[in-house]
Amino acid sequence: MLKALKNKTNGILNYSDYKKPGYSILYFVLVFILVVAVLTAVTPVLWLILSSFKDASELTSVPYRLFPENFSLKKIGEVWQMLDFGKYFLNTIVVAIGAVLFSVVFNGLLAYAFSIVKPKGYRIFYGLVMLSYMIPTVTAIVPLFSNIVALNMINSYAPLMLCYGANAYYLLMFKNYFDSLPPSLFEAARMDKCSKWGTFFRIVVPMSRPIIGVVAIFTMTAAWSDFLLPYLVLKDNNMMTIMVEIFNLKTTMGSVQGFGPDKLLMVLTISILPQILIFAIFQKQIMGASAAGAVKE
Amino acid sequence: MRTRYLLEDRSSFGYKLKTFLKKNWGGWLIMLPSLILFAFFVWAPLVQNIKLAFSNTRGFEAIGWAGFDNFKMIFADPLFLKALRNTFMYLLWSIVIGFFIPIILGLILSEVVHFKALFRLGIYFPSIVSGIAVVIMWSYLFDPNPGAVLNQALDAFGIPASLFLSNQKLTIPLIVLTMTWRGAGATTLIYLSALQNIDQSQYEAARMDGAGMWSRIRHVTLPHIMPTIKLLFILQVISVFQVFYEPMVMTDGGPDGASVSLLLLAYQYAFTNGQIDAGASAACSLFLSVIIILLTIIYLKVSMPKKDGDRLIDKIKARREKKNA
Repeated sequence: MLKALKNKTNGILNYSDYKKPGYSILYFVLVFILVVAVLTAVTPVLWLILSSFKDASELTSVPYRLFPENFSLKKIGEVWQMLDFGKYFLNTIVVAIGAVLFSVVFNGLLAYAFSIVKPKGYRIFYGLVMLSYMIPTVTAIVPLFSNIVALNMINSYAPLMLCYGANAYYLLMFKNYFDSLPPSLFEAARMDKCSKWGTFFRIVVPMSRPIIGVVAIFTMTAAWSDFLLPYLVLKDNNMMTIMVEIFNLKTTMGSVQGFGPDKLLMVLTISILPQILIFAIFQKQIMGASAAGAVKE
Repeated sequence: MRTRYLLEDRSSFGYKLKTFLKKNWGGWLIMLPSLILFAFFVWAPLVQNIKLAFSNTRGFEAIGWAGFDNFKMIFADPLFLKALRNTFMYLLWSIVIGFFIPIILGLILSEVVHFKALFRLGIYFPSIVSGIAVVIMWSYLFDPNPGAVLNQALDAFGIPASLFLSNQKLTIPLIVLTMTWRGAGATTLIYLSALQNIDQSQYEAARMDGAGMWSRIRHVTLPHIMPTIKLLFILQVISVFQVFYEPMVMTDGGPDGASVSLLLLAYQYAFTNGQIDAGASAACSLFLSVIIILLTIIYLKVSMPKKDGDRLIDKIKARREKKNA
């Protein structure tokens, strides 16, 4: 274990420091702090998953037991069927896919115009986008909601998907990426009399796969977790998304026969499993982008 | 065709418009759909919100100018004053609990060479769980029942059972703890990437000068990550001012308004109190927006270290130095 320290050349402390007495103890303290941090990060979710397999009475049993007495995967199926959870899953997937589509296409196109096409007068709107980037849209939820009502879009997925097409954060991610593409590319396209749309689909899109992927993943997780707008817009229980349904289940707890806190915990477990799965697949992109994203703009 | 163009008066408005459209219509066509979405989801609501804040309202409709009546009304509402105070309490606690942890973890992560990927992954993990799920999960961890998990853990250390979120003094710190649990990992990664960009030769130089660990941290590490620290501080302030669904889901602003935030109150004025008061809601969120805009202006000042003007001065200086040399 300490061999790696002898070869450590970078950082605040390097191999020459670790030769001195006391520093290897310090290193173990640092590792210990990280272990504690990771445990703090992971344990609550493990607790959730384990608790969701318990009975309601087991949640507060004295003395406390971390593991459920009767562990049975059947409970997933039971809760799933009891709530007809498949439909909420399907609804959420539909919204998420639509959101990804609109997010990539509309933010991408606008960023393409801001970064490469630059039609005369685009700066006005670029300024407006930046200005609205400052003010969280949630502060204007009342007029947005009344406009959605006026357009008769209550109980419709359209606003929930379309709102991702107007996202300053994703737009800037695209714009930063497009700004970094070599200008000679577009010069060549102009020489070949390639139209603006042609340039977009034949040059920009193929070269932008990484950023399209990142925005798609971000939008997907955001849409999956989205709460306030879906909660206000969706009134029909058959149309609800997972997060709205979870919130409803929590607030109506006790009024539904046989639905106790243990079952709500199971619903939570079911709802976060896809998120863990997506993270497991796209771990590198998600962590890379979230480290770079905030600093740039 | 040609002659017609030659005959046209090039200074006329019609001609200018024509060439403008000819050159730019393609670009504007590309922007149009996205701009419509921005107008509908962002710009129009923000403008309407300002109008609502200064209007008498019936339902969600504005019916006539009200001047500052809505603002006078909310400032007379004890709950608003509570929300204002709470919002600053959220800020204070988020600085105490949430601000230093990512810096320290980032520093340690950049030093430790074992299981690097695993530690990074573990620390980032909470960020992937959706906000609502996290918040509901923690509200069950904070179950005040003496037989529930945390109270039994406290009991093991001989600490009496806690009411957790139902204790007015604890509710905001515990909500902040939940927010920190979810957000700290992502922030840590940002610090980590800033730390990894530090020029190693500077540490080498400090070592040559006989600088110890603390002095290396103070004179090399901290100055390098200071811009990131300032930036993330302001970003944190801005995001904490918008705290909303955590108290909404965990406590619904209670107990007795002890955790209600400005944004949550704006939501409650419009959507949950028996009668809809869109004017008060708009005034409350406009007031919040103004605070956030002021903070953002500070943020922009901090995050843009050099303006074009400064760069010009640099150029002039460089040229002068060249001449002298």
